[in-house]
Amino acid sequence: MITVTNLHKRFKLYKKPSDRLKEIMLRRSFHQNYEALRDISFTVAAGETLGILGKNGAGKSTLLKIITGVLLADDGHFQVEGKITGLLELGTGFDADLNGLQNITSNGLLIGMSMTEIEAQKQAIIDFSELGDFIHEPIRTYSSGMIMRLAFSIAIHANPSCFVVDEALSVGDAHFQQKCMRRIKRFRQEGGSILFVSHDLNAIKMLCDRAIVLDQGIVVADGSPEDAVNHYNRIIADLEEQSQRQEEGYGSNEAEITAVKFWGQDSGGRVVTSGEKSYIEIIFKINAPVEDLTVGIMIRDRFGQDIFGTNSHHLGLDFEPQHDNHYQALFELDMEIAPGKYTLTVALHSQENHIELCYHWRDNIETFEVAGTKGDSFSGVCRLPTKVKLERETELGHR
Amino acid sequence: MNISLLLNFTKQDLIDRYSGSILGGAWSFILPLVNILIFVLVFSKIMGAKLAVFGAEFTQYGYSIYLVAGILAWTAFANSVVRITNIFKEKAGLIAKVNISLSILPVYILVTESIIFLISMAFFALFLLLIDFPISRYWLFIPLLFLLQQLLAYSLGFIFATLSVFIRDIREFVNVIIQLWFWCTPIVYVIDIIPEFAQKLFYFNPLFIIVSAYREVIIFHRLPEFNNLGILLITASILFVLSLYLFRKLERDVRDFI
Repeated sequence: MITVTNLHKRFKLYKKPSDRLKEIMLRRSFHQNYEALRDISFTVAAGETLGILGKNGAGKSTLLKIITGVLLADDGHFQVEGKITGLLELGTGFDADLNGLQNITSNGLLIGMSMTEIEAQKQAIIDFSELGDFIHEPIRTYSSGMIMRLAFSIAIHANPSCFVVDEALSVGDAHFQQKCMRRIKRFRQEGGSILFVSHDLNAIKMLCDRAIVLDQGIVVADGSPEDAVNHYNRIIADLEEQSQRQEEGYGSNEAEITAVKFWGQDSGGRVVTSGEKSYIEIIFKINAPVEDLTVGIMIRDRFGQDIFGTNSHHLGLDFEPQHDNHYQALFELDMEIAPGKYTLTVALHSQENHIELCYHWRDNIETFEVAGTKGDSFSGVCRLPTKVKLERETELGHR
Repeated sequence: MNISLLLNFTKQDLIDRYSGSILGGAWSFILPLVNILIFVLVFSKIMGAKLAVFGAEFTQYGYSIYLVAGILAWTAFANSVVRITNIFKEKAGLIAKVNISLSILPVYILVTESIIFLISMAFFALFLLLIDFPISRYWLFIPLLFLLQQLLAYSLGFIFATLSVFIRDIREFVNVIIQLWFWCTPIVYVIDIIPEFAQKLFYFNPLFIIVSAYREVIIFHRLPEFNNLGILLITASILFVLSLYLFRKLERDVRDFI
């Protein structure tokens, strides 16, 4: 159980650290205030998982540092029932020259375990980390994934009543990540509270009972993970508009893309559930007479790999645009792809592809995210329409 | 912050730091030993003659005993002050991640230095036994003297540590001060070589009082001078309270700056 009431944190920004002492001596102010947290209140009940969302610099880390006791708040108070443990950022407190076993001891002590607890849990920690004989090797021979496994194993076996997970889970292979998730779920069932900070919106939706969104040190949303995720996305969208990240693109400019919009049928926004019907609207302008025109879209994943692309030509739409007119193209598709972040590339060209005449090409003009799954779950990058039948083999006979 | 954690820090300091090296923890003693040998080689002829004035039964080892009786205590003190001054920088990675009591943290350095001192003293006692130099019951004062000097070391070190977060120069400043302090304390030389008018000034040097007290009990088998030690105890206690007060005032900023 964690209760936070009216928490304030102000960072004083000094030109140099010694100004702080000058300030005390001369009783004059030499700093500018930076309000990192303003009037933060929330509770996390036993067995509840609270997600914390917010863009970089929103105050997430500061909040966690105050709750774990690393920083002191300026005002307000918080209460943590029982022991609180965080996943120390990869290998903090690990000594590279010592072996895994020795590091279990020193790390365990650091996060507040007693010597007897460590002895009692040692084997369980080693087993969970799946390090095997590597536990006798110096940590410097470990891969970052192995270090993370050890760190997580120690933290979860410290038997905390509150657990702070700060992004760290993103390291490690899928097998171990899932194992961690299962362990976290068990921890929750046993009545542990979890604070979960992540930019992985899918994980927030899957794991959290509730989520809050921080923006410039204020709680701007507190509610279901879905609501929080949507709110968070609005903040991110504003940010992107401000930064005008899109470049102009390239092409011969006979036709010009003026606007692209993406939305899901249910969500109405740029975060959709896998399987949700989604719309891509493209507004374009014809600057010079062209013989024919094809509108194409391409969805790419966060690694820039093409996931799916199509165009009006493939879809059997032949189109001769009129000069000086504005047009709207609306693609409607079921977003049968795996959860993750995607970008949208849009192009206007002639014929089947852009190789002959490319009027206008805009890379990554829009971004969207798929989070959560509607209907049957699946693995991999996309959901192919699948049916399955089961019969007893004897009835089939030999063919 | 529990005792096992402090002891574990000490263990890392004494043993783990040297893991993989052949001589291991022995390195903690090699530098002080080399220091002692150098001083004995350089000064024993010059200072040996002066020591005769003291009237204690001195052999050819006279200067060595005089030197070691003072230098072990000094080394423990100086290392404690310097290392506590640097503690926030040394452990910055941990302090920024884990909830550690910053005022208790320096205690592990005191423990480390105490262990080194204890082992050094054991070797010293062994040496005295070998050369048939008597060890008296006055040795029982040594732990008290040591506690007093380490109380002073903590207080000074912790004040410097707190200030060094805001003024980086403190760390270099402390190194220089310790070096000067060493030569302003009659450790390798006897106070008689100082002009008489200046000798009085030495009584304002707490380490002179401490070192003299060690010599009283080890060499001369006498009670140390309690008046001076009493004043020193009061001074050290005031500094101790001051260091904690200063830290309490500044803890929020200290944590923010680290």
